[in-house]
Amino acid sequence: MSQLPSHITGSGKKRPAHADRTPVYALVGNPNCGKSTLFNALTGLKQKVGNYPGVTVEKKIGETYSQHGKPIKIIDLPGAYSLAARSPDEAVTRDVLLGRRSDTPQPDRILCIVDATNLERNLYLVHQILDLGRPVILVVNMMDLAESSGLQLRVDRLEQALGIPVIACEAVNGKGLVELKLAMSRSDLPLARHSWDIPVAVAPAVAELQASLTDNDGRSPLVARAEALLLLTDFDTVRVAGSTPLSARTTDILATWQKHWEGEGTDWAGTLVGSRYAAITKLCVDIVQQTGATGPTTSDKIDAIVVHPLWGWVVFGGVMTLFFLSIFTFAQGPMEWIGDQTASLANWLKATMPEGDLRSLLTDGIIGGVGTIITFLPQILILYFFIGLLENTGYMARAAFIMDRLMSRVGLNGKSFIPLLSSYACAIPGIMATRTIEDPKDRLVTILVAPLMSCSARLPVYLLMIAALLPGTTMPVLTKVGIMLLMYALGTAGAFGFAWLFKRTLLKGRPPMMIMELPPYRLPGIKDVALHMFERAGLFLRKAGTVILGISIVLWFLTTYPKHPDATAAATEQIAYSFAGRAGHAIEPVIKPLGFDWRIGIGLITSFAAREVFVSSMGVIFGAESANDDTTTLRVALQKATWPGGAPVFTTLVCFTLMVYYVFAMQCMSTVAVVKRETNGWKWPLFQIGYMTGTAWLVCFVIYQTGRALGY
Amino acid sequence: MTTPLKKLSPLCQLAAGATGRVCELRGDEDFCQRLREMGFGEAALVTKVSGSTTSLCQINGTRIALSHAAAMNIMIELLPIGPAHDRSRAPFPAPASPKLNATDRTR
Ligand SMILES: Nc1nc2c(ncn2[C@@H]2O[C@H](COP(=O)(O)OP(=O)(O)OP(=O)(O)O)[C@@H](O)[C@H]2O)c(=O)[nH]1
Ligand SMILES: [Mg+2]
Repeated sequence: MSQLPSHITGSGKKRPAHADRTPVYALVGNPNCGKSTLFNALTGLKQKVGNYPGVTVEKKIGETYSQHGKPIKIIDLPGAYSLAARSPDEAVTRDVLLGRRSDTPQPDRILCIVDATNLERNLYLVHQILDLGRPVILVVNMMDLAESSGLQLRVDRLEQALGIPVIACEAVNGKGLVELKLAMSRSDLPLARHSWDIPVAVAPAVAELQASLTDNDGRSPLVARAEALLLLTDFDTVRVAGSTPLSARTTDILATWQKHWEGEGTDWAGTLVGSRYAAITKLCVDIVQQTGATGPTTSDKIDAIVVHPLWGWVVFGGVMTLFFLSIFTFAQGPMEWIGDQTASLANWLKATMPEGDLRSLLTDGIIGGVGTIITFLPQILILYFFIGLLENTGYMARAAFIMDRLMSRVGLNGKSFIPLLSSYACAIPGIMATRTIEDPKDRLVTILVAPLMSCSARLPVYLLMIAALLPGTTMPVLTKVGIMLLMYALGTAGAFGFAWLFKRTLLKGRPPMMIMELPPYRLPGIKDVALHMFERAGLFLRKAGTVILGISIVLWFLTTYPKHPDATAAATEQIAYSFAGRAGHAIEPVIKPLGFDWRIGIGLITSFAAREVFVSSMGVIFGAESANDDTTTLRVALQKATWPGGAPVFTTLVCFTLMVYYVFAMQCMSTVAVVKRETNGWKWPLFQIGYMTGTAWLVCFVIYQTGRALGY
Repeated sequence: MTTPLKKLSPLCQLAAGATGRVCELRGDEDFCQRLREMGFGEAALVTKVSGSTTSLCQINGTRIALSHAAAMNIMIELLPIGPAHDRSRAPFPAPASPKLNATDRTR
């Protein structure tokens, strides 16, 4: 039985004896109780923090040092309401705790975080954790909020009652961290004095299962008891435990008891929950006290408007409009400044370097490609700042609440809206966030449609096309915002439409059952928002410096070689003669019905890596065409581009069609990789590429041909 | 509302501001289990904050949103008391038997 996880083979007593081994702590608690905040405070890492349940969806290992300078490993885990997991993120927590994950060390000790403002419900999970027979430290977080709402908590009494260290804490302000570190440094953590009486109705079953688990599955008695209890309440344990299957005897006993109860009509699962809560209520009697009368809180007052059936929509619309307007207005100045800087750098290089391939590589390849992308940094910053505000104030969960009604029309529930909203920034965190969705079909549908929400990588494409589409700088901002909004609306409508279609055909399911907690509003920590924003900006720059730089250089090479036999040939002819030009010509027949020429085709191919590469590719291709003039803006270069007959390529209709193409087409390798991982195979990512790019082509075909017929 | 007979209505039909007591959970077993685990068990006091399709309610000082399909499965007995902004701590029903049955817990 050597493949069994250590918690099964080893008895609980062996673990704490190792003084030489780095102790591993797991951070466990209800969603949104401040685990990641505490994790960051202890380790100095920058895990994402947000004021809504379900921010963390994957484990993360960090390190801190004990009071004596010894290293301690800490695992930040997704929030869970119960060990009986209902969604993939909760399953991560359960599996790490039970040592079912091969990539994670099994925690020796557990830090249970509870929210002081809702002690009883938070203690439910703690109650289950204590059954695991592992040393536990209880951290009562958000003491500041409890105090301001008139709750008095007697932490010392809780410590006496449970017999384990209980530490009052305010993770955001770093209060209580020293005490926590001290407790974590103890080598002799006591086990809980946790007397809880298993209800008589299930006691014989627990005893029998426990005996079988000890005899036939090699569990130590304490772990066996905890697992027996979990088997009775976790409907999926048997299936998920696939990696370490239960013995036939245990499975038999479980099945027999379940049949027995079914015949009797006893609700054993409910009885278990009830008796746990009864024990908790008894425990809390002289620990929690409400002092003073409480009226509606500030959160209640804000909610009276924000989740109001009518005003809620007004607020939601206002927030969204503000979002898009700010992307345009505030970014304009910095964007032009960056554009000027890169242009003058290129001009300076052209003036100082002798003409040749190296100069061309620098000015056309690198500055033309990467420089064009960097111009969009201000927009990206604003976008992430805004999303950070939504996530940290607590509005995110309200938006999900408001959207629930609409989402249920297409067969999803409001919870799916949070991943979709995150996908406005980037589909990858959006797809990760679907782990909070309980129903596997709903989750899959959300994954399938999430990339239709216009992500930040499409921004550069939209902006370039809007600039090319509307000559002259006198264009009123509102028109630009209008076109932009249209693209976002198109993507969102597409996502809803396809979700409706999939829920009706491929993935029919039950009516959406949603339970979602709405956290109290908080003033966003400017640090949390700024950190996340700069981290994303850093990622964006790194991508510009690696992937986009690489592709730009390769593309430059592919557009420069082989050299046209006639050295005096025009730049356009040179590109047409090059490798890239040949590839572009090869796919031209497919995209010509959409009004795209072979140079756009090159961009469509390269931007399979990532959508913004389209812009850098246009920079490389059309920058090279205007090689010997002063570096003009890409917009002007695009407007000069013509078909062989002399007709302009980037007509209003083509620019518009191209934008629509990018709304629908699946053009992102990283998303494909994440979808493959999250759905365990190639089936769904391939389906996704097919349906999205197919739709893009069809819609563009209809738009372009109709437009032509109407004389545009 | 002093009729001796309990009149049950689903949570989605509760008027905004009204408070009720959870009497019965219907629907899927695993869903009921989660409701109980989140403190929505029988005898819990719920105050409806708003909503008719998607319900927002206050329970034990926290706000919980429930989709229409979920709220339909929660049967409520209307209580004649006003809105409970206070964190009304609903006592859970006593377990099936208070008899002790502790196993080797003290190790
Ligand atoms: N007032 C107050 N707010 C806190 C405290 N600790 C954390 N918060 C806030 O609580 C919110 C949730 O914090 P997170 O650390 O993301 O919570 P989490 O437990 O990791 O949440 P999930 O990953 O979703 O399970 C954030 O807005 C924090 O700023 C505290 O002690 N006092
Ligand atoms: Mg977290």
